[in-house]
Amino acid sequence: MKLTRIQIIVNLLSLLPAIFTGFLLIQGSLSANPIQTLTVITGRTAIYLLIFSLFCTPLNNIFKMGVFIRIRKTAGLYAFYYSLTHFLVFSVVDYELNLSWIFPELTQKPFLQIGLAALTLLLPLALSSLQIIKKLLGIWWKRIHNFVYLITALIIVHIILASKGDIIDPVILGGLFLFALLLRINPLKTLSIRNLPQWARDLNTFLIQ
Amino acid sequence: MKNKIPSLKITPETLYTSRRRFIKSALKTTAASFLLASCSPKTNHDDQVETIDSLVDDQGFPATSVEDIISYTNYYEFSTGKTQSTKLAEAFITSPWAVNVDGYVNNPRVFDIDEIKNLFEQEERIYRMRCVEAWSMVIPWVGFPLKKLLDIVEPTSDAKYVRFETLYDTEQMPGQNNPSYPWPYIEGLRMDEAMHDLTLLSTGIYGKDLTPQNGAPIRLVVPWKYGFKSIKSIVRIDLVAEMPTSLWMAVGPTEYGFYANVNPTVDHPRWSQATERRIGQSGRFNTQLFNGYGEEVAYLYEGMDLKTSF
Repeated sequence: MKLTRIQIIVNLLSLLPAIFTGFLLIQGSLSANPIQTLTVITGRTAIYLLIFSLFCTPLNNIFKMGVFIRIRKTAGLYAFYYSLTHFLVFSVVDYELNLSWIFPELTQKPFLQIGLAALTLLLPLALSSLQIIKKLLGIWWKRIHNFVYLITALIIVHIILASKGDIIDPVILGGLFLFALLLRINPLKTLSIRNLPQWARDLNTFLIQ
Repeated sequence: MKNKIPSLKITPETLYTSRRRFIKSALKTTAASFLLASCSPKTNHDDQVETIDSLVDDQGFPATSVEDIISYTNYYEFSTGKTQSTKLAEAFITSPWAVNVDGYVNNPRVFDIDEIKNLFEQEERIYRMRCVEAWSMVIPWVGFPLKKLLDIVEPTSDAKYVRFETLYDTEQMPGQNNPSYPWPYIEGLRMDEAMHDLTLLSTGIYGKDLTPQNGAPIRLVVPWKYGFKSIKSIVRIDLVAEMPTSLWMAVGPTEYGFYANVNPTVDHPRWSQATERRIGQSGRFNTQLFNGYGEEVAYLYEGMDLKTSF
């Protein structure tokens, strides 16, 4: 399978936080508490990629540039990879797979239960991005993927509960999420640019090759 | 009562410098296996190890490196990011600095920071510091017992609590523009807690003046309580009759209590209080009741339900 230009770009951009973090980790400059920093970076990257993926469809509707649809899946998949890494940092690196530590945490802390629920719900979405499974699912594929809104909401609640009284981050994330939802209902839903300039069409064609 | 936490003569700076150098080389050799290998000095056979090992707390835990102590801080007046405050606090003006001591006292007084350093003999205390976020450090503080200062102002019998206040200056402290928190930072202690010998007013770390991000020029240190009780950059100390409402009590009354004693059996809704991660070391430690200072302080809370008075 040949990768298109935009796929290469999106893959590289999505890998950038991982590469950068890995570099800092090896260098030993990932703060005095590297595990905590890893947890934050992987979590943040995941939610921003997921919210970005929610903007792909509306952007395609508005600009009629197919390039947005082609990066939606990649962004969503990387959101899943970072979420999974986030969970592994928590369970393996931080809590050393010690169930006598992890289990009481999971039973007592709503923010962890919500985070785990979100990751669990993301799993079928990630798996069904495989073409073969997508075909098998038929109409159910779209139904399953509508869970992405619930998952995003869960993750934002997870972040609100995990933050120490700070409202700025949840407001930014919640605002972006609401905006992505607004773009899906009238009148914004029908918003579109009729005469896209030629250079934009050319760019689109260039990127999807 | 007898205090088993030794007060040491302040360690000469050359010792810290050699320790710094030593830790750097130790870090280099273990950098690749950063998460797996312990960064503690035990595997190294450097000559300096013996002198360095003397910098341990009363339980034998080695002091956290000065780099970690000054680079990883919770100082929301500057930033909610733990590594960002260092840069943002760089130009923070700590001299001249006045500490206004007032309220139910016979001799209200404004202390200048230099006056404080001269008036009270500065000693070194190596304490564990347990953050409510489940990480901890071992810090060689320089300072003096708060009791000595309170004795000078003579609290009256109406004084039941001590209320501390951090500088409020949005020009210098950009984090105070964050509307999520009711500034200025307030903390409080019960009178007997404030008079306890372990309770310090600190002016330094590792034999040097406090860095701005660590709470310069003067901060509280209460080693048996979560770190947020140890209020930084103090400008007011008031002796009051009513229990003060701290900033964190105002933000989350169900999450942060007045006492905030380190207690592995009283859980925080977000962070496990059963275990902690020691900065600069691998693995988790079991958190100790009263952060391991139970012998010294447990009597203060006799007959109290620590689950409701959290």
